[in-house]
Amino acid sequence: MSDANLPAGRGAGPLRDLRRLAFFTLRRVLALFVTILVGVYLTIIIANMGGKVDELRELQIRSTISEAVRADPSYQQMDSEERNALIQEQVQMEIERRNLDEPFIWRSFDYLAQAIQLDLGRAEEMHSDAGSRDVYDIIVERLPATLLLFGTANLLVFFVSVYAALYLSRHYGSRLDRLVIGLAPSSAAPGWFYGIFLILIFAFIIPILPAGGMVDIPPPENDWAYARSVLSHMVLPVIAMFISSIFISIYSWRTFFLIHSSEDYVEMARAKGLPANLIQSRYILRPTLAPIITNFLLMLIGLWSGAIILEQVFNWPGLGTLLFQAIGYRDTPVIIGGVVIFAYLLAVTVFMLDFLYAILDPRVRIEGGQ
Amino acid sequence: MTQSADTLLQVSDLTLHYRTRRGTARAVDGVSFDLRRNEALVVLGESGSGKSSLAKALMRLLPRNIERFSGQVMLGDMDIMQLGDEAFRKQVQWNRMALVMQAAMNALNPVVRVGEQVAEPLRVHRGWSKDRAMERVAETFRKVGVSTDFLQRYPFELSGGMRQRVVLAMALVTEPDVVILDEPTSALDVLTQASIMNVLKRIKREEGTSFILITHDVATSSELADRVALMYAGQIVEISDARDFFHYPAHPYSQMLMDSVPRLHQAEAPGYIPGEPPDLIDPPTGCRFADRCPSRFSKCSQDPPAFSPDERRRVRCWLHEDEVARGS
Repeated sequence: MSDANLPAGRGAGPLRDLRRLAFFTLRRVLALFVTILVGVYLTIIIANMGGKVDELRELQIRSTISEAVRADPSYQQMDSEERNALIQEQVQMEIERRNLDEPFIWRSFDYLAQAIQLDLGRAEEMHSDAGSRDVYDIIVERLPATLLLFGTANLLVFFVSVYAALYLSRHYGSRLDRLVIGLAPSSAAPGWFYGIFLILIFAFIIPILPAGGMVDIPPPENDWAYARSVLSHMVLPVIAMFISSIFISIYSWRTFFLIHSSEDYVEMARAKGLPANLIQSRYILRPTLAPIITNFLLMLIGLWSGAIILEQVFNWPGLGTLLFQAIGYRDTPVIIGGVVIFAYLLAVTVFMLDFLYAILDPRVRIEGGQ
Repeated sequence: MTQSADTLLQVSDLTLHYRTRRGTARAVDGVSFDLRRNEALVVLGESGSGKSSLAKALMRLLPRNIERFSGQVMLGDMDIMQLGDEAFRKQVQWNRMALVMQAAMNALNPVVRVGEQVAEPLRVHRGWSKDRAMERVAETFRKVGVSTDFLQRYPFELSGGMRQRVVLAMALVTEPDVVILDEPTSALDVLTQASIMNVLKRIKREEGTSFILITHDVATSSELADRVALMYAGQIVEISDARDFFHYPAHPYSQMLMDSVPRLHQAEAPGYIPGEPPDLIDPPTGCRFADRCPSRFSKCSQDPPAFSPDERRRVRCWLHEDEVARGS
């Protein structure tokens, strides 16, 4: 058997695996770090319009200061030349204080260094509900609302569609299967579209649920009553998102499972007379676990950005609304802060995925390190 | 047909029709044969003759578009066609009949260690402990010439020949009565083919297993064959002892097929059969080979029954009607 010593010659053992894993990890961390750097830097350039925003800022500083000086009664007596000199001086001070006199390209690297250290700076216009102007505080304040709403909806869609798809792939061609396929185009309309109808029906025609917001005003004192109030506010947006994505999601998972259940090894497992649930878990789900988990994790980080229009329609105080406002105010630090946190989350997720792949798929684990 | 005491599997009038968009495809159309204990029956046929469907029908690996699935398959004294799906799965599949699939290259789950996969039928059907099953797997690996170092490996770490042997080990591990091999060597190089055929011969000699070897490869199959069944358009047109079949084929199709097998150092070019195999969806009435047959005569427009010119042969051809008449 000449091919018997071929795989054995590669050398085996946990030490080799560990060394490979360490090397693999280091390489991945470096690559991901470079990705974050590039992503964040591009955002800084874009959000500052390549330095053009500085001119706007200067104009803004000048107009604020001159208005303040002109409005100040103690300067009323000054002649206009003196006053202009004073304004010029104060503008200069403010520009120096904010380092706006340095070339943008230098400052862009400072911004990058700060952003990478998660020092997100202070917002220019916006502040958190608690009054803080720290970008970090502003974002963290909105995060739970978005995670709660989109997490609930997406987890529901994910698990319901994977289970339904497994069932349909086993009953492929049945009446139910054809019904679900027929309903798949319903996902052409976005969640907020269904949201508008749901609000119309369940908040106005039959007023049984709140039309928007996250909690009653004023918020209930009692914890249970508070939770109940939040839940009742979540019902309509969650249903809207569920309707708009469930059928297409079932459809695509069903197709995915159908393709994988016609693999030769699945046929072989059937020939071996293995029970159906063992075939499903070991021969269909296990080999396809890597793409399923990828999908799941990417969905989880997708929650982060929320959905701008849906949050607007339901008046939900989440990140979507925040970003919408930040763009409106041209509040660069808030926009950049959002992107930085998103980039970090994405990188951490991708890194976790690499590890999970290695654990789940022996082909990656054993050959990937070479 | 003689029913002897050591008949293991007796198939009568097995029929498997598929429903297709163009009409009914008669992939297996009234096939009858028997298989004795410790015998290797080779089922020969061109692609599209229904030989793989025969394997699927025997193992009940049916697609969804079944129009008709009928007949009688006696395994010992049990008609396995009468069993419900669940009973068939538990009693027949891999306990008494096992299959080595076509495309055995991809017949192994890529993310499960091969030892574990081979042990699965023992664990599921017999409820053996892991240790006991793995011991049997190691033993089977040695029988088919796979080093037991490979037990803990994944399929992608094995060469094609090794994978084929592992799939073979999987079919043998429960020591079934019948092993059906569907084109087991068609994707392998000649040397690997030869070594796998040698393993099969040794297993047959030492373990007394019966094989149904489904193939289009006349040369390789002649190594193992005790008897040969030749399929054409969903029917068995001739079934004979291997020696008779290879030396004195009876059906005109068998004769032409044997002529078309290339031989080393042969002066004249191998023969070929003009025309194409008929469509399984709308097969011609009468003898299905008639259109391509050089010996065709008026009677060929009627469907020939299976004649037995002698007791070791059955031929579905009107030419042999007279011999039967003379013989009886």
